[in-house]
Amino acid sequence: MTGGLETVELTKSFGGVTAIDAATVAFQPGKVNALIGPNGSGKTTFFNCVTGMIRPDSGRVRYRDHDITGRAPHRIARAGIGRSFQLCRVFPRMTVLDNLLVAVRAGGLRSSRNRAEMERARGWLTRVGIDHLEHAEARNLSWGQQKLLELAGVLMADPETILLDEPAGGVNPALIDRIGALVRELNAEGRTFLIVEHNMDMVMSLCDHVVVFDRGRPIAQGPPAAVKSDPRVLEAYLGV
Amino acid sequence: MPSGALLFQSLILGVLLGGLYALLAAGLTLYFGIMRVVMIAHSAFLILAAYLAWYFHERTGLDPLLSLLVTVPLFFGAGVAMQRLLLARLRPMTLTMMSVLLTFSVALAIEGTLGYVFTGTQRRVRLGYSGASLEFFGARIAVVKLIAFLLAAAAMLALYLLMKRSRFGQALRATIQHKDAAQLVGIDTDRIAGYGFGLGLATAAIGGTALALDSTIYPSLHWHWIGPLMAIIVVGGLGSVPGAAIAAMVLGVLQAVLQIPFGTTWAQTVFYLALFATLAIRPQGFFGGRLAQRF
Amino acid sequence: MRNASSRVLRLAALAVGAALVLSFPSLAPNPYILSAGVIIANYAVLSTAWNFVGGFTGYISLGHGALFGLGAYGTGLLVVRAGAPSFVALFAAAAIVALLAVPIGFAALRVRGASFVIVSIALVLILLLVFQSWASFTGGSNGLVVPRPFPGLLRPEHHAVFFYLFAVLLAAALLTWWLIDRSWFGLGLKAIREDEDKAQALGTPTFAYKLIVFVVSATFTALSGGLYALWFGDLDPIFQFSILTGAYMVLMALLGGVRHLFGPLVGALVVGYALEYFKLEYGNTPLHLVATGLLLGVVVLFMPDGVIPAFTSLYRRFFGPAESSIREVTAAELRAPTGVPR
Repeated sequence: MTGGLETVELTKSFGGVTAIDAATVAFQPGKVNALIGPNGSGKTTFFNCVTGMIRPDSGRVRYRDHDITGRAPHRIARAGIGRSFQLCRVFPRMTVLDNLLVAVRAGGLRSSRNRAEMERARGWLTRVGIDHLEHAEARNLSWGQQKLLELAGVLMADPETILLDEPAGGVNPALIDRIGALVRELNAEGRTFLIVEHNMDMVMSLCDHVVVFDRGRPIAQGPPAAVKSDPRVLEAYLGV
Repeated sequence: MPSGALLFQSLILGVLLGGLYALLAAGLTLYFGIMRVVMIAHSAFLILAAYLAWYFHERTGLDPLLSLLVTVPLFFGAGVAMQRLLLARLRPMTLTMMSVLLTFSVALAIEGTLGYVFTGTQRRVRLGYSGASLEFFGARIAVVKLIAFLLAAAAMLALYLLMKRSRFGQALRATIQHKDAAQLVGIDTDRIAGYGFGLGLATAAIGGTALALDSTIYPSLHWHWIGPLMAIIVVGGLGSVPGAAIAAMVLGVLQAVLQIPFGTTWAQTVFYLALFATLAIRPQGFFGGRLAQRF
Repeated sequence: MRNASSRVLRLAALAVGAALVLSFPSLAPNPYILSAGVIIANYAVLSTAWNFVGGFTGYISLGHGALFGLGAYGTGLLVVRAGAPSFVALFAAAAIVALLAVPIGFAALRVRGASFVIVSIALVLILLLVFQSWASFTGGSNGLVVPRPFPGLLRPEHHAVFFYLFAVLLAAALLTWWLIDRSWFGLGLKAIREDEDKAQALGTPTFAYKLIVFVVSATFTALSGGLYALWFGDLDPIFQFSILTGAYMVLMALLGGVRHLFGPLVGALVVGYALEYFKLEYGNTPLHLVATGLLLGVVVLFMPDGVIPAFTSLYRRFFGPAESSIREVTAAELRAPTGVPR
């Protein structure tokens, strides 16, 4: 299937450790994809390679039939791929609103107090539920609020494909449900998701297509039910 | 084309110089490895040690090398104090940048104090053996330079044994490589960091005393050392002690050899050229291997 | 949010400040005070120029002394060796430095944190070396004498003219800083300061932004250096390529507050005045190095955001109202789809 995010023989090693091993995988556009696997299977490194933060040793990353391998992170972001971080990252000493405004494509010396963009930002803040914190400094937010802020920031850049790195990490069940609902809403509006997660309930209930990584390469892919009962997956998660 | 003898002489000189650079650069890169701190004051302490060695010799008439008995433990303590009392107080988010400013302020304070106490007059240690030299396959080697090299080499060996063979060294290396993991296995990384700093300043004490044997010293001399030393640790790879040592030898030899055609002052630019080249080609340094960080 | 009365107050303060600056040369009791004023004005431009990089991107450059020296020597050499008219030389030198800032920035800004500072220091040291050694061209340690642009002026008038010139340059720098501060460009720069990788992930072209602001910073610094050369008339590598100058710039900006428009200016006034006073009372002793070191250390340890935030937070701790936590949101409130209570 073309048109989505895919990698061809992607390889990355750090010293003697092969983090990604000739990984060839295609994610389904318009769907909620999941990338799961045991710790150390290369998932975050995969994200970093795809979003340009790390240069792969070999292989290609393709998006919408264009080769984006090794492009600068900001160019990949502007091509329509947004991502969140495993340890959620916000701009600590900027206000919540400014955190979102950074994602605006406008540039130059015009004033950043642009009413239209500020309203658009407020829209996203309301949608994730932290609009009352608009003027607070990001570093004063709780962990859950920061996760929502990070999500709102990613969405503010209006990405077509969104990579979420452990969105449920360290978050209470009510918030997990809320994030899940939001992902479903946004997917219905046409955005593609690729989610790295360990929370199996979330993955099974939310995702259409699951890719399982083990030791740097995909070992199984398919709908959640099929993957869940795949013996190779069970061995990777529970075995040696 | 310089004569073979002259070249050989410069080579020897470069090796001797490189040895001293290696010791000093090892200390400098140690601070960075332990705490991501750029310790600008390292060379200021170096000059301070040199002044103390000179002063000791002036006052007692004894060989300045004996001052090591006092300065090494003193500087070790100062290093621990600096780390625990000053650097530990900095916010982690801006640690590296602020540590530069903080250690810079310490360097200024030391230079100012030295200038005030000893005045700006250039000082030099005059020993019985100051002018003596040895013959080595046609090359003349100044005895003081040889002693400085041997001192530096001995210190490097001790440092190596300490880091590789002792429990403290093991804890130190663990702290450098992965602070959180080290804490998880029960290492008191704060205390280790303090001792590591002390170790770094102790090497400055040794290096400074070695320097005093052969050089003319004055308060602002530290600026002539911090540049080359920082260049060495970047070329070697920030945080890597073996990387710093190798880079020091290479650049020391290069500097000595280039002195023949270009003269002393222009030969010094080799450090800065190497620095810019490293940042342009391979910012994480050439000799550090896996230990080196890209910063 | 800003309301009308606070706006009027700020404009009034600005007007008063401008009036003071304009009238300073006539108020100064003697030419020495006037020349001290010129020096402080120079510091104000330098620290504001430094703050383009330090304040917006968070990259602490200890090498701006190099740019100052290049601007000074560039202007001086163009006048002496090429016979250029003074102010043509000034702008030409600044243009040259701006061009040089591109490859310098390219090398320096590719790396972060520690390496950047190391490169900035190395820049000053290598230029010091070069300008001292290349005596045939630069005059080396004997210095370079730069002829005055207005030879007919008496000493006090000379100082007054240059005071105004520096004031104009300062106004230009402040205006530029203010424009960037409120702009999208400035927002991107501040994001770089907060989290450079995250800024990239959100689409900010971080390297290009850093380079642009570095060139702007270098240009203002070089202009100030050139004006200094024309005013002072005598250049020496040790003073022009001085890490200490770079340290002063950092100290002043830090003391006044790097995130405020007038922070560096305030810092320049305080530190500059202290330096001149110290020089007057105690002469040129090494002790002012100790004082600078101690002051810098104190600022870094206890008020890295500058005096203004330090004092306001102290004030608030003793006199301000108790702050409630904004984390007091219940699970039920979080679950609510919209309209979370304020």
